[in-house]
Amino acid sequence: MTDETTPMTDGGTDEEARTDGGPPATVPPDDETPTWSERKERSQGLAQLTYQYFERSRREDEDLRAESTYVERDVLGFPTWPHETIRNLAITSFFLGIILLVASILPSHFGDPANPGSTPAIILPDWYLYWSFGLLKLSPINPELAVLGGNIIVSNELYGLIAHGAIFGVITLVPFLNKGNARRPVEEPGWAALGVTGVILAITLAALAIQNFFPVPLELLFSLTFMLPIAGGVITYAVLKTMREGYMYDLNRRYYMLRPPK
Amino acid sequence: MSLKKQDDMDHNAWLKSQDLTAIETAFLTTLIWLDKRLRIVDYLELLETMYYRANLQMPKSHTEQYDLDNKFWYWYPLYSLGSLSIIAYLLAAVSGAMLGFYYAPSTAGAAAQGDPTAAYDSMVMIMQDVQFGFMLRSIHRWAAQFMVAAVFLHMLRVYFTGAYKEPREVNWILGVVLIALTLLFGFSGYVLPWKQLSFWAAQIGVELALATPIVGEWAAQLLFGGFTLGQATLVRMYILHVFVLPFVVTALIAIHVGIVWVQGIAEPH
Repeated sequence: MTDETTPMTDGGTDEEARTDGGPPATVPPDDETPTWSERKERSQGLAQLTYQYFERSRREDEDLRAESTYVERDVLGFPTWPHETIRNLAITSFFLGIILLVASILPSHFGDPANPGSTPAIILPDWYLYWSFGLLKLSPINPELAVLGGNIIVSNELYGLIAHGAIFGVITLVPFLNKGNARRPVEEPGWAALGVTGVILAITLAALAIQNFFPVPLELLFSLTFMLPIAGGVITYAVLKTMREGYMYDLNRRYYMLRPPK
Repeated sequence: MSLKKQDDMDHNAWLKSQDLTAIETAFLTTLIWLDKRLRIVDYLELLETMYYRANLQMPKSHTEQYDLDNKFWYWYPLYSLGSLSIIAYLLAAVSGAMLGFYYAPSTAGAAAQGDPTAAYDSMVMIMQDVQFGFMLRSIHRWAAQFMVAAVFLHMLRVYFTGAYKEPREVNWILGVVLIALTLLFGFSGYVLPWKQLSFWAAQIGVELALATPIVGEWAAQLLFGGFTLGQATLVRMYILHVFVLPFVVTALIAIHVGIVWVQGIAEPH
């Protein structure tokens, strides 16, 4: 590679004084490989637009690299062998061991064979779908219209489905709503509070789904399903706001020079 | 690289100055959006030249850059949750393949309502007659439980450490899809033994599908093979569980991990 600071025969490094034209503007490609621009140039339509954009994109990369103060060097880190490999093996075996242990002490049960003729008193999915099952029990807050004589607008099942859609929609949109460089919960107490609200809501919805097992009156359980998450969110927000100042102060100074908090 | 936003290359302004048709604008906008995140340009070139002339450089590791070497080790388990869910997935795949040798997705054999069907009988056979079968089913079940738990915790970790932010939006959406598919995996597997709970869980599924406007009946036909549960339901759930979902989920996991590989681990700090 051409080194711009290579001393010249007269001992100087002045680029203007060179007679051979200096280093090429870009790194020359290998002999066999045509450059990007030498490749068959697409002359029309989307292919040409793609080509034009990629030209710009490549130039952008080069500019960014030229401007960067970033020092390239080898990573000094945890060696893959043996350290990282042993650590991963340890974690993997531990995890597999836990699964096998739990599988052996808590085997799955038989249950009664399916009988379309008799509905069991308690229908439940696996635990990880409790929250979803809880969403189907939201009929008390299914809005009804006075003009329809107090009839509900959508069926209770559809209402539960819409709730699913809303939850998945919000979760999907998170990266597009929450921008910026902040990473830690203390840096964005609001989003952390929203997350805690969501987690507690999932738990309380699960509790709502298995309401038969709770000695709590149904109305109270229903209210708690929504009050507890909000309370949890508010507490999280308050705690993080309080922690924030002290925590920020302790953060690595260099880190904040590089990434100012929003 | 410096972490400031660079505005020298304003592709959007360039786009505006181009006087393009709607199709071209949509195409270029999508292309630019994806390229900003995934650097397609580098990989396209890789494809063309067939060897690495692109600038694959190892960056200084984040822990090194911010001098966090001795401060973040105790977060490590949270950062291995994605890996743990893959391990559980593989364990479930292996044990599931072995269960598949003995399981029969059939509702035949019930003389009266509530009698054991062939599917139920094959489950009983696996647990009582097959050597190691009792443990095998237990392993399969618990591997699934652990996978779902790990996947959920993985999502929480990503959320609370802000690891979904630009340029990782695509992977977050992929993760949401994977969670939904994992739940569908669990649901379809729950139906297979054709127990009382399986049957009535599927019944709720059918009722939900039928409650959906416009596509509801079509979805019920597609997923459950009709509006009442029976042989068709069981076979569809079986094919979903052992054929469709394994391919789709494995492919999506590969893409999910591949994108992490390309974009690097979100900086832990």
